[in-house]
Amino acid sequence: MNVVFAVKQYVSKMIEDSGPGMKVLLMDKETTGIVSMVYTQSEILQKEVYLFERIDSQNREIMKHLKAICFLRPTKENVDYLIQELRRPKYSIYFIYFSNVISKSDVKSLAEADEQEVVAEVQEFYGDYIAVNPHLFSLNILGCCQGRNWDPAQLSRTTQGLTALLLSLKKCPMIRYQLSSEAAKRLAECVKQVITKEYELFEFRRTEVPPLLLILDRCDDAITPLLNQWTYQAMVHELLGINNNRIDLSRVPGISKDLREVVLSAENDEFYANNMYLNFAEIGSNIKNLMEDFQKKKPKEQQKLESIADMKAFVENYPQFKKMSGTVSKHVTVVGELSRLVSERNLLEVSEVEQELACQNDHSSALQNVKRLLQNPKVTEFDAARLVMLYALHYERHSSNSLPGLIVDLRNKGVSEKYRKLVSAVVEYGGKRVRGSDLFSPKDAVAITKQFLKGLKGVENVYTQHQPFLHETLDHLIKGKLKENLYPYLGPSTLRDRPQDIIVFVIGGATYEEALTVYTLNRTTPGVRIVLGGTTVHNTKR
Amino acid sequence: MASLDEPGEVREGFLCPLCLKDLQSFYQLQSHYEEEHSGEDRDVRGQIKSLMQKAKKAKNKLLKREGDDRADSGAQGYESFSYGGVDPYMWEPQELGAVRSHLSDFKKHRAARIDHYVVEVNKLIIRLEKLTAFDRMNTESAKIRAIEKSVVPWVNDQDVPFCPDCGNKFSIRNRRHHCRLCGSIMCKKCMELISLPFANKLTSASKDSLSTHTSPSQSPNSVHGSRRGSISSISSVSSVLDEKDDDRIRCCTHCKDTLLKREQQIDEKEHTPTIVRLYEKLRLCMEKVDQKAPEYIKMAASLNAGETTYSLEHASDLRLEVQKVYELIDALSKKILTLGLNQDPPPHPNTLRLQRMIRCSATLFVQEKLLGLMSLPTKEQFEELKKKRKQDLERKRTMERQAALESQRRLEERQSGLVSRATNGEVAPLRRGPGPLRKAEGWLPLSGGQGQSEDPDPLLQQIHNITSFIRQAKAAGRADEVRTLQENLRQLQDEYDQQQTEKAIELSRRQAEEEELQREQLQMLREREWERERVRAAPLHSRTRSLDFQREPGRGLRTHLAHALDLGPSPAQSGTAPKTPSPSPAQAWSGPPALDQEGPPQSTVSQPPLNPFEEEDRPSPPGEGAVSPAAAEAAPLPKEYNPFEEEEEEEPEAGNPFTGPDGLAPNPFEEEEARPCLRPASPPAPGNPFEEPAGTNPFEVDSDSGPEVEERIEEELLLQQIDNIKAYIFDAKQCGRLDEVEVLTENLRELKCTLAKQKGGPD
Repeated sequence: MNVVFAVKQYVSKMIEDSGPGMKVLLMDKETTGIVSMVYTQSEILQKEVYLFERIDSQNREIMKHLKAICFLRPTKENVDYLIQELRRPKYSIYFIYFSNVISKSDVKSLAEADEQEVVAEVQEFYGDYIAVNPHLFSLNILGCCQGRNWDPAQLSRTTQGLTALLLSLKKCPMIRYQLSSEAAKRLAECVKQVITKEYELFEFRRTEVPPLLLILDRCDDAITPLLNQWTYQAMVHELLGINNNRIDLSRVPGISKDLREVVLSAENDEFYANNMYLNFAEIGSNIKNLMEDFQKKKPKEQQKLESIADMKAFVENYPQFKKMSGTVSKHVTVVGELSRLVSERNLLEVSEVEQELACQNDHSSALQNVKRLLQNPKVTEFDAARLVMLYALHYERHSSNSLPGLIVDLRNKGVSEKYRKLVSAVVEYGGKRVRGSDLFSPKDAVAITKQFLKGLKGVENVYTQHQPFLHETLDHLIKGKLKENLYPYLGPSTLRDRPQDIIVFVIGGATYEEALTVYTLNRTTPGVRIVLGGTTVHNTKR
Repeated sequence: MASLDEPGEVREGFLCPLCLKDLQSFYQLQSHYEEEHSGEDRDVRGQIKSLMQKAKKAKNKLLKREGDDRADSGAQGYESFSYGGVDPYMWEPQELGAVRSHLSDFKKHRAARIDHYVVEVNKLIIRLEKLTAFDRMNTESAKIRAIEKSVVPWVNDQDVPFCPDCGNKFSIRNRRHHCRLCGSIMCKKCMELISLPFANKLTSASKDSLSTHTSPSQSPNSVHGSRRGSISSISSVSSVLDEKDDDRIRCCTHCKDTLLKREQQIDEKEHTPTIVRLYEKLRLCMEKVDQKAPEYIKMAASLNAGETTYSLEHASDLRLEVQKVYELIDALSKKILTLGLNQDPPPHPNTLRLQRMIRCSATLFVQEKLLGLMSLPTKEQFEELKKKRKQDLERKRTMERQAALESQRRLEERQSGLVSRATNGEVAPLRRGPGPLRKAEGWLPLSGGQGQSEDPDPLLQQIHNITSFIRQAKAAGRADEVRTLQENLRQLQDEYDQQQTEKAIELSRRQAEEEELQREQLQMLREREWERERVRAAPLHSRTRSLDFQREPGRGLRTHLAHALDLGPSPAQSGTAPKTPSPSPAQAWSGPPALDQEGPPQSTVSQPPLNPFEEEDRPSPPGEGAVSPAAAEAAPLPKEYNPFEEEEEEEPEAGNPFTGPDGLAPNPFEEEEARPCLRPASPPAPGNPFEEPAGTNPFEVDSDSGPEVEERIEEELLLQQIDNIKAYIFDAKQCGRLDEVEVLTENLRELKCTLAKQKGGPD
């Protein structure tokens, strides 16, 4: 159930199968991203893969001394490119791997193009998704739906991605979906269809309790992506944006050249791995420790090396030192930038109000706070619009709803038309009308007591009060209490036991906050393994 | 259930999650669980399962360290605050997901296609062969045409009014041409020509696919053909009707394409680019490193722990070897990097990229592995380590004994045990003393002292202990015990005092010894000077002399007189050397032993002068025992030598003052970089050192240039360091960190300075 390893295993297998010798990895745009998420360049270099080429690049040289490993999505264009490639092979031998199911006719046309017998392998390796964390995957699809319904192309891509995930994890799940969402239902049906069609592929060793695929729709919880996050990974994504583990820092004032774009990968950055789920304050102290640790090592290195022993120590420590210096400068830059943005955008205050909007039911104070912040010149128009969106979502039906007034305030503040329109769009997208379950008011007695208790205890951290709705859903699911009338099974059979392996897929994208939730759930509930996925990974910018 | 593992209570090991009973192993835990708690909540089972996953993971960690390093480091961070569930990073290793192969399907389709293709190519080649089988130059054109037509039936002219390739109408001016290989028709523009050499190449290659012709010298023949073609076309302008081609065969584009492809295949089969060859070498080296490095690391680790399982020399040999391979890797990858850089048409950017990447990965490889290559202790350090280990062991033993003694609580017994231990302790160093001394190469007189220096430790410790006992007993008010203890203490102190005085005596003795040693060395130096002069006069002779000397060491005065006579050409010189004792060879020969006897009376200590010549890895006690009587009795009992066979090796040392210089004088330090310190591992065959002048060197170096040995090791280290730093500079430059480059360059300069100094110094 580790998606990073699942993909990594595939890639390793490809490389191993091709035997010794210099290799080139031939990929398309999407598989490049897929591979880059699980393998670093230096790692892959050690496996004798020296070149990375795009199948669609025209400027490739003939290098007959290289072996080509092709990892491609089975799209029409890719097959065409490959046919051209095989007609005039540029490399000595080809190992072809498709990331998904390929049709027989495509195989045939490829075979007919291979007149020089350069193809040594044709396989399907189902690494057709972006593995972000061991329990989090994404398909990097933006705007998967048009209105309430699927964009057909994206639906098929999502289906492919999801089935590939199931195959790579060797799971043949039961499917549950969110009844209130048409999109969820469509996707569930499509996945089911593929499973039925490719039944022989999905014949895995039966586990005691069958795995479960739960398909949700973002519109059920439009709040979560609108909140500012305070854990490291989520913050970085929120404020800087993570794209395939890469962070673009080029907008940071005074950034040095080699830090324009940095890679944050838990796979090979220990500090990041240890801190990605910690909140901002903890990271502050951790980075201080990191710095101190570094300082301790540093002066020795930068001094003149007097004796041979010094030099020896230096030489022995050099790579660690270098690595550490890279890590330190990277994280210091990132955290520095984060804190700059936080203070510049007055995010602490904004976030406090956001949390209040999301978690409490005091309309008048909420309204007051929103209004106050709207007057604050430091609050960006984007943040302002977000506050209003949250307000709109929460107090949509409130008797003294003053949304129009707030929108006027927004206009006065000079917030652009685009953002103002978003408010109504969000309400339409995630408003009460479409929500299957109630986000804000506690449903049953247990939840009420819980909230009451929470109120008594006092809030530990005002910035992280909000628990994504997903937490509740999953909690119920694990305890076997998730209502079937809201999340029906696809097909006649239902799960009697408590589920153990759960794959959650959120149409419209997951968030890092939810990733954190899943992470904690994984850690706190024994015997349960949850993998979260989404069409993309969100931040508030959508 | 998770509450049991609450972070506040950190317990490790295989605890049963239900009863917190500590079980020794995972399997025991499992069975324990099955016996005791089966039928309880499934959640617990889940937890056990998670434990199992952890255990599995841990096992995997141990088994395949390399691949999972990152995951490990990630996991370690979390383990500290894990509570109950399983961190996603700790999930059991993901097995390879589902796969599906289309290969058989693919092959089926391809086979059909390939058959077709192969048949076609073969057909063309057979026809080509037929067309070139006869002598075209000397055959009439009509006849040629007849033969050509017999190979393949020509398409009827009337059937083809337009050129099938370009669509032009055939006319008088635009004549029809037939492909000689398939018989089809095209116009002159679309016609291709095959030159005879090209045809020959194809046919011969297919005839003997083992490819007897090796050079692709014929590959530019298409150019050649076309040039010839243009000449001939000028000449044939006059006779358009006469379509005689001397050395070319007409064919259509399609056939030509097929043949060209075929040619390309043939070429590729034979051709291996330089980069491939270099790369193969590189990989070979890497494999070698992968194979050798762990072996070396094992050795070095063992040596650094002061163990004697492996010999230092062997290890440094291996180290040198591995380092050489690294250098080779470096050189090879550099070569790959610069491959074709100054060719006229610069290589494709991708080629350059490939070369860069290979270089990069080689650098990574070297960096990663070379730094794992821990350094060896120098000889001195090794001795120290060995000693330390020995001491550690001894201390441990005494500690154990002490613990046992104390547990007895019987004071009398303890006292007697103490005495015995104390005497033991005294005897041991005496017995032990020479051992390390021998190995510590006499020029280090301090080391002998060190052997004893920690010996009083247990005694002092004991005294200390007893003092504390007394205090305790006093506190407890047990007067009689206090008394006995005090008695005991006094005894101990006496013992200690005695030892101290002994040590003082020993120390002074040692000082005397040292002086003596210095004297001896002075003498040796003098002798050497004298010898060098003499050697200059008759190097060859002196060697034979020393050889003789070697062979018959015990013959005493008579032989030596003979030697003196033997000296022939240089008797005058030897005689005139005023201060050396060498005028009387016998005295010179027995010089060191004689001096020994003059030294302090302790016979065991008298060995140091000989010790320098001892072989490192031959601490054989009989040898040592043999030396001392030999030293003492050399002169009076010459025949005694026979029993000591191994003496032969030590003899050259005895003769060293004579033999050494002739080896030393010509090549003191330049040639022999690392050798002296590596060689002794395998003591050369007795006769060997004297066959080649350099052979005596090891002894020479061992005897008097101990510091140099050390320096040489350092020198090697320096060299390696320089290499490393160079690599880093390169690395840093690539990454554009100028400040680092600066610091590194400075270091490098310094290192080089040191090296130069060292090199220059000894000369």
